[in-house]
Amino acid sequence: MDLSFSPDHAAFRKEARSWIEKNLDRTWSDALRDPAMGEAELVEFRRAWQRKLNGAGYLGMRWPKEWGGRGASGVEEAILAEELSGADAPEIPNTLGLHLCAPALIHHGTEQQRRRYIPAMLNADEIWCQGFSEPGAGSDLASLRCRAEIQGDHFVINGQKCWTTYGPYADWIFVLARTDPNDRYGGISFILVDLKTPGVEVRPLKQITGESEFGEVFFDNATVPRENLVGEIGQGWQIAMTVLGYERGAQSLAWAARLGSDLRALVLRARELGLTDAATRARLGKLVVDWQVFYSNAYRTLANLADGKAPGPESSIEKVFWSEYDQRLRLAALEILGPGGQLTRLSAHATKDVDWPRDFLWSRAESIFSGSNEIQRNILAKRVLNLPQG
Amino acid sequence: MKFDLSDDQQLLRSATADFLASECPIDVVRQVAESKGEGFSRAHWSKLAELGYLGLVVGERHGGQGLGPVELAVVCHELGKACFPGPYLDVVLAAKALEESGAASDVLESVLAGKSIAVLARRDTVWPGDKSNLRFSGDRVTGSSFFVPHGASADRLVVVAGDDVVLADGPFDVTPMPTLDEAQRFAEVKLDNPARRLGARGLVDALDDLAAVAAAAYALGLGEAALQRSVTYSRQRETFGKPIGSYQVLQHRMADMLLRSESSRAAVYRAAWSLAEGSADAGLVVAAAKAYAVESACAITRDSVQIHGGNGFTWEYDLHCFLKRAITLDQHYGTTIAMTDRALVAFEATL
Repeated sequence: MDLSFSPDHAAFRKEARSWIEKNLDRTWSDALRDPAMGEAELVEFRRAWQRKLNGAGYLGMRWPKEWGGRGASGVEEAILAEELSGADAPEIPNTLGLHLCAPALIHHGTEQQRRRYIPAMLNADEIWCQGFSEPGAGSDLASLRCRAEIQGDHFVINGQKCWTTYGPYADWIFVLARTDPNDRYGGISFILVDLKTPGVEVRPLKQITGESEFGEVFFDNATVPRENLVGEIGQGWQIAMTVLGYERGAQSLAWAARLGSDLRALVLRARELGLTDAATRARLGKLVVDWQVFYSNAYRTLANLADGKAPGPESSIEKVFWSEYDQRLRLAALEILGPGGQLTRLSAHATKDVDWPRDFLWSRAESIFSGSNEIQRNILAKRVLNLPQG
Repeated sequence: MKFDLSDDQQLLRSATADFLASECPIDVVRQVAESKGEGFSRAHWSKLAELGYLGLVVGERHGGQGLGPVELAVVCHELGKACFPGPYLDVVLAAKALEESGAASDVLESVLAGKSIAVLARRDTVWPGDKSNLRFSGDRVTGSSFFVPHGASADRLVVVAGDDVVLADGPFDVTPMPTLDEAQRFAEVKLDNPARRLGARGLVDALDDLAAVAAAAYALGLGEAALQRSVTYSRQRETFGKPIGSYQVLQHRMADMLLRSESSRAAVYRAAWSLAEGSADAGLVVAAAKAYAVESACAITRDSVQIHGGNGFTWEYDLHCFLKRAITLDQHYGTTIAMTDRALVAFEATL
């Protein structure tokens, strides 16, 4: 057992930390939380930040260098993510493109596709959104019905995608579309679609937070060149499942760091408000305990990654633990901080460091997205515990 | 970075598991627990001594194995899976205190050889009825000590009297304190016995983290065993023509048990490692691991009783042994409530 970082890793952390200190303008996080800031402006903020990261070689950490990556290890990727998270750095707009689409191109795409799409994706010149979920296909993704019919050199796409993060600000979408109605998994293909294509329409979808970073995408006889297919016809499901696995592990430490900063803010705020009663302390104590346990899970994942072990279905444990912990933290904040905890940014009395009401509302999405927690529990029951099929 | 145990540690794990499987399967554990005797087997005890388990964390110079918190966690993890009865941890802690003190090397030797039993009576096991008021006069210790683990079997006690840690020589005036965990023979010990000073109370305080990690590892083992029994049972037991393990409501319950069990494993071993390394945050990590692993063992064993239905409520099925031991651990080696508060205090100190 050895949970310590090597001298190289420690040096990398130091370098990343000092780069972030020099390059992350602290006022950005205030600006990001300024209620006067429009969503489109926020996207530009995020775009500029992504460009800085790209310039410094801090994107595509694990990709080969020839595709603009750093050729680094999962541990370095995790360290960077932890540092960014601890510094309250803005989220980049092309997360989904870089995490899902680029690996699909690197592993399954053509040389030409990589050259065409990856540099613009890294530099946020083109923002990508993910076209997997549909109104009738969320947890049961393979029941998706958006169709792509082959007509000569083209696909003709019809159907609808939804809960598309950054949809309203994106230039491109990577779509899972049905190319064979009779083959549940083998009838799905992975296709890149320019959102300016005639017949494609993006509509913002307002969330319970009041924001509209989500969208719905409609396809009405949208004609897409056949060269936009990634991999083979019918390989889409396999590609999607593989790329969904790539990011496992590297985010856990960053999640733990982020939870730690917000827990710190809550404990400090409770202290400022003089809340030292036993019930409050018991609740905060429990949050500290569970946060540390989550950190332990993250360290195990990371150490296994460093030890050359691919994360397996147990990554479902982290997803469930993280999302439900975050929900407990946000709920505790609302209850402990009293009516003041419900104040939005529009009030001068609201806390500046954490937007508690917004984050509480947002936390409700966490047990739904990226495979609902019910699906994660099914995975644990079936693939880890080998319980019998129902 | 590597989470897996080293080769030597894995060897220790498999040797311990083999020993327990051959010498101490659950029916033997139950026989011992349910007998009127000491609540553990002297034959097992001799073997533990012979195999070097009693001096696991005592330095080689003093006749021990010279191992650390990770190895102690490995052993206690296996003991927990077997629901192994007896004062193992209490003797290991007493031996460590004797070693650190250096004042009673003859006693240490006899304890490691399994010839006599010395237990550490922790002063943090308190309850509102506690009237213990131990006093040390220079050569005698007087007063009462409560919840002394296997007090009736102890030849010597390491106790805290005021600011001193003392070694009291038996025989002792003991009254059993039966709790819901019948294998755990707690005793009230009325002391008016010869004693010698081992050191200041810091000698025992310094063992708090080691005790907490070991107890957490034991709890981890209890939970794993109860989960495994639940999974096996739910694959076989049928209702409405299907195994109950195929119903989603039970699958999700067991997925939650797995989440707790696996998270406890990460927490316990990280805590043991942090303690071994002397990491700056070891106190926080250890407190969190003890609170979480024991709370989880309690939850998992309760759930396992539910999954076994009416059978789970019978004396005949073994689950209640695991449930009861988990509940014992909640109140000893630092209660869950105290550990939770300790974690918060340690966190606040970093703000």
